[in-house]
Parts: sequence; C-alpha cells; structure tokens
Amino acid sequence: MVFSFIVIPLLVAAFLPLIGKFSKKLLPDLLTNAALAFLVFNSILLVKPIFNQGVIVQNLNWLGEKVNLQVALDGFNLFMLFTISLVSLCISLFSIDYLEHYGHKSTFYALFLVMIAGMNGLVLVPDLFSIYLFLEVAAVASYALVAFGLGYDELEASFKYLMLSVVASAFALLSITIIFGMTGSLNFQAVAQGLQDLGARTVLGVCVAFFIMGFGLKAALVPFHAWLPDAHPSAPAPISAMLSGLLIKVSGIYALFRIIYSVIGMTPVLSQLLMALGTVSMVVAALLALGQKDIKRMLAYSSISQVGYIVLGLALGTPLGIAGALFHLFNHAVAKGLLFLNSGSIQHITGTRNLDELGGLGKMVPVTAGTNLVGALSIAGVPPLAGFWSKLIIIMALIQAREFGYALVAILASILTLWYYLLIQRKAFFGRVSEKWLQVKEAPFWMSAANLVLALVCVLVGIFFTPIFKTWISPAAEALARGIQQVLMWGL
Amino acid sequence: MVIQIILLCGLVIFSGLAILLKDLLKAALALAAASLFLGIIFFRLSAPYAGVFEISVVAGLITVLFILTIALTRKGDEVTEARLVKLAFPIFLILFLIIDGLVMKSLLQKIPALPSGPERGTFGEVLWKQRTFDLVAQVGVILAGVLAVLALFRKKEEDKDE
Repeated sequence: MVFSFIVIPLLVAAFLPLIGKFSKKLLPDLLTNAALAFLVFNSILLVKPIFNQGVIVQNLNWLGEKVNLQVALDGFNLFMLFTISLVSLCISLFSIDYLEHYGHKSTFYALFLVMIAGMNGLVLVPDLFSIYLFLEVAAVASYALVAFGLGYDELEASFKYLMLSVVASAFALLSITIIFGMTGSLNFQAVAQGLQDLGARTVLGVCVAFFIMGFGLKAALVPFHAWLPDAHPSAPAPISAMLSGLLIKVSGIYALFRIIYSVIGMTPVLSQLLMALGTVSMVVAALLALGQKDIKRMLAYSSISQVGYIVLGLALGTPLGIAGALFHLFNHAVAKGLLFLNSGSIQHITGTRNLDELGGLGKMVPVTAGTNLVGALSIAGVPPLAGFWSKLIIIMALIQAREFGYALVAILASILTLWYYLLIQRKAFFGRVSEKWLQVKEAPFWMSAANLVLALVCVLVGIFFTPIFKTWISPAAEALARGIQQVLMWGL
Repeated sequence: MVIQIILLCGLVIFSGLAILLKDLLKAALALAAASLFLGIIFFRLSAPYAGVFEISVVAGLITVLFILTIALTRKGDEVTEARLVKLAFPIFLILFLIIDGLVMKSLLQKIPALPSGPERGTFGEVLWKQRTFDLVAQVGVILAGVLAVLALFRKKEEDKDE
C-alpha cells in the first residue's frame, strides 16, 4: 500500500520515545530497521504494477467517510521511494553501532523516521502546498538531527542551516501563493491547466525564479550553497549521509524538477539557465573540494558538484539526459551515503577526520578502506562501477543534443572528482602506517556491514546495469518525459 | 457583530503581547494565538483556504519553528551580533519597500482576475475533506518539533543531574 511510506515511519516515530523508556537499545534498533526493511520490500513489490499500469492512484477512506487523501504513484515517485528506503535502511543499520556513544537512540531514530516520512510524503503528494508542508516535516527533523551532538559546532551549523532553509522555504511558499492566487488551485493537474488558460508569462517567470532560489538553496546549487559545507560535516555521520545522499535531492532536485516538468513546463531559456547553474556548481564545488583537509567537508563539496551533474542532465530535458540524471541521482545517493558512513567509521576508529593526520590505514582497516575505494571510484565515474554508466549517459545525452561545451566541462569535472577522491584514498589509506594508528581495529560489525552492503550495490548496479536501467530508471524517466510532453502540448 | 469585535480585539491583544512579552517562548505562543484569530477572521470573510493555511502554517508550523529555534539557544548566552547583522534588517526593509513600490503594483496588475471564487465549503469541509493531506503533514511537523525539543534539551537535564 502506497500510504504506508508515510504512515509507518510516522507511527513508529510516535511510539519510539515511549518504547525507549524501557528498552534503550534493542527495540529501537529492531523497530526502526524492520520498518525501513518493510518500506524497501514494499517499493520492490510495487515495481510490477507500475511497469504494467504506468500510474497508481490511491484514495483513502477514514471511518467510512471519503477524505481527500490521494496519492499518485508513477515510475519517478517509485524510483525516489526505493532510493530513499534503501539508503535509509543501510544508514539505520550503520547507526546501531555508531550511536552507542551518543545515547538517546530512541529519540534519534524517531527524528530519523520523521525525516524519512517527510521525504516520502514530499515525493508522493500531487499538490503544491502539501509539497511545502512535507518539505518542512523533513526539514524540522533534519535541523534537530544536525544539532544532535549538542557541541558548539553542531549547534552553530544547525542554526545556520535552519536560517538559510527557512529563507528557501519562504521563497517556495511565496511562489506557491502567487500560483494559487492566479489559478485558484494547488493540485498539479489543475494548476497546470489553469496556467495554460491564463498564459500569464511574466508572473510565471517570477514564480519560476522564486522556485529556483528556494529549491536551489535546498539543493545547495552554487551560488546558494554556503550552508551545506558547514551543516553536513557537523552532523553525526549517519545524518551527513542522509542529508547529502537523500535530503538535498528530494527537497531540492525532486521538488524543483517535479514542479517544472509536471506543472510549469520546461522552456529553452529555463533549460539553459538551469544547465548553466548545474555546470557552475559542478566545477566550482569540485575546485573547492580539492583544497579541503577535513574528509567530511571534502565530501560535502563533492555533493554540490555531483548535484550539478544531476541538474545538468535533468535540465537538458531529452529522454536520455533525464534517464542519465536519475541514474546518477541513485548512484550518488548510494555512493555518497557510503562515503559519509565511511568517514564516520574513520572518525570512530581514529578520532579524527583530518587528512593530514591520517595515513596508511588501509592495512589496519581493510573493509573501511576497500568500501571507501569502491564508493570513491563509483562517484568519480570509473568503469565498471555504477557511477561510470550514469556519467557516461549524461555526457552521451549532451553530445546527442549537440551541447559539446557542456559535455567537455562534464568530462573535465569528472577528472577533478577522481583527483580529490584519490587524494582522500592516498592520504587516509595508502602509504606507511603512522605509529599512532598501529593499534587501531576495524569498525564494529553493523558499521562495516552497512558499508559493505552499499559498496556491493555500487558494484552490482554497475555490472547488471542493463536490467536495472530497464526496470527502474526507464519508467522513472518516462514518467517525467510524459510530464514534459503534456506541458509542451500547451505551448508554454 | 459581537463575535467580529471579539475576534478583532483578540487579534490586536495577542499581536501586541507577541511584541511586548520578553519571554521568547511566550511571545511565540502569543503570535500563534494571534494567527488563530486571524485565521478565523479569514474564514468568516469567506476565504476558508486562507483561514486554513493561516492556522496550519502560522499557528502550527511557524510556531514549531520558533520553539525549535528557541530550543537551540541557551539561557543567559550573550548575543553579540556583528554590525552588519544589525544593519541587515533595516537595509532589507528599505530594499523591500523600494521593490514593493516599484515592481509589485505593476506585477499584481498583470495577474488576471479569477473567473469565479475558487474556495468553497465550510471550515470543517476544507480542513477535513479538501486539505486532509496537510493534516498528516501537520502531525509530522508537530511530532518533529516535540522530538527535536526532546533531543536538544537532553544535555541540560544531564547537567542538572550532575
């Protein structure tokens, strides 16, 4: 059932603080992971119906009375739900051991599940105002999770994140308000129809600008990226993985492109503007990542750069570009989740994230070193790992659309990516072991297991690229492309 | 008429309290109460959507954000703001007024008038039957706010124990 993606995490989150009173570890661990495993299973079960029917619309009755609880599931939503559920499950497995020194597991898991419910809700609702509300559900939970460590840095980063995120939400809400004022509706289909009838291009242009500012801030696109390199490294490792792997994509990229493709319509000017923003993010953030000494800060800049690739592909608007971008979205979510979790393992093992202090850890912690290498090479686009295929498709789509300049920049940025990831690998894991690290041991079981699962996904998706692309990515890209066709027909 | 006066007085009193109260938490709650009155006034002026949004966003969601922000601060902390930050609000206000005066009027004129009133139904119908999903999200926001306060205040309790 589609509603379970929102209801189950919320229900478990509501009971967890009570359960935490008499079981501090076992039950919170078990319940959270079971709920997320169920969501992964549920999303896999929904593949077949979506493959056959294209779209599933579900209405909910409440005590026999029909209420307006409607969700519309298409290939794009399902793809996002699967990505969220899978990466969240691995992150929550990692948290079993990682959270031991933080304590208060039940509160952490409850906030974690509310954030997931917010993201799932955002993905499922076909209504502009509900998008804003679920955006806030995920955001409020994430502010608290960033500050969960309660140190000075965490609180400062959370406050900065909160302030900029509120500005982002305000821009999005302003735009939604203007659209509601013009069309008298908030439902995607009705708004799209209303905008078609009105043809108010100037006002619509202002709305699009506000959406780009609002969701651009959420997605941390350059020049709206200032908050991310502070917020993501300060959070506990599982939350950094959630924010970089999922939240910026769902509340930034998904929301922006869903509204553009299903409601407003992509125009050549908008496409060029977003492609330029994506390219600038890709290059500037990659250059900034090169100079970082803190692993998590480097990974945070890398997230901005990789989001640039996704925006470039989606903004191109061709079926191949969209498919490549969505595939890269999945690959980046998995690989960046893995790398942030790995950085948590490194910090857990050594007590530091400073690359200058590390060195030669590969011999002492082979699982962490190996999984880190897989994640790094996947994001950098080295064959046969998953990231290689998605970057290849984006570059092929750019060449097919005769955007040779963008294709060249994408290739060059990929080389920069490989450069800074090899820097991490060389400084942290290769070379001679410093005497300081001779006694270090591999990360605890669940932390290593979660890293291994994510690394395995990077490898297997790369090897079984063709069937996975056909089953998951193509229906998602088709669902978005259908949105484009509808809007293009109106001549907007 | 009497109800209208009571609602307007409530709005003014609670708005005033929101500014005058020195305790930030009480000020935030007073603002929420003011929004509640405003929401009811919107509804009585035949704008149920605006009423529902005012109550759900300002009285519900924004209050959660305020309480969360207050939770992130510590009692007795010195607030040393840079001069730039102190200047930011007046500069922003002046810029907003200039942009508002120059752009918004002409922009608003370009928004075509709606052919008919889009909002129908009683408060209950709008809230329960038309915007039901918003309620689920509200529950999520309030739950997140409560959990956030639980998470962020936990150290203070430990300090007290020590």
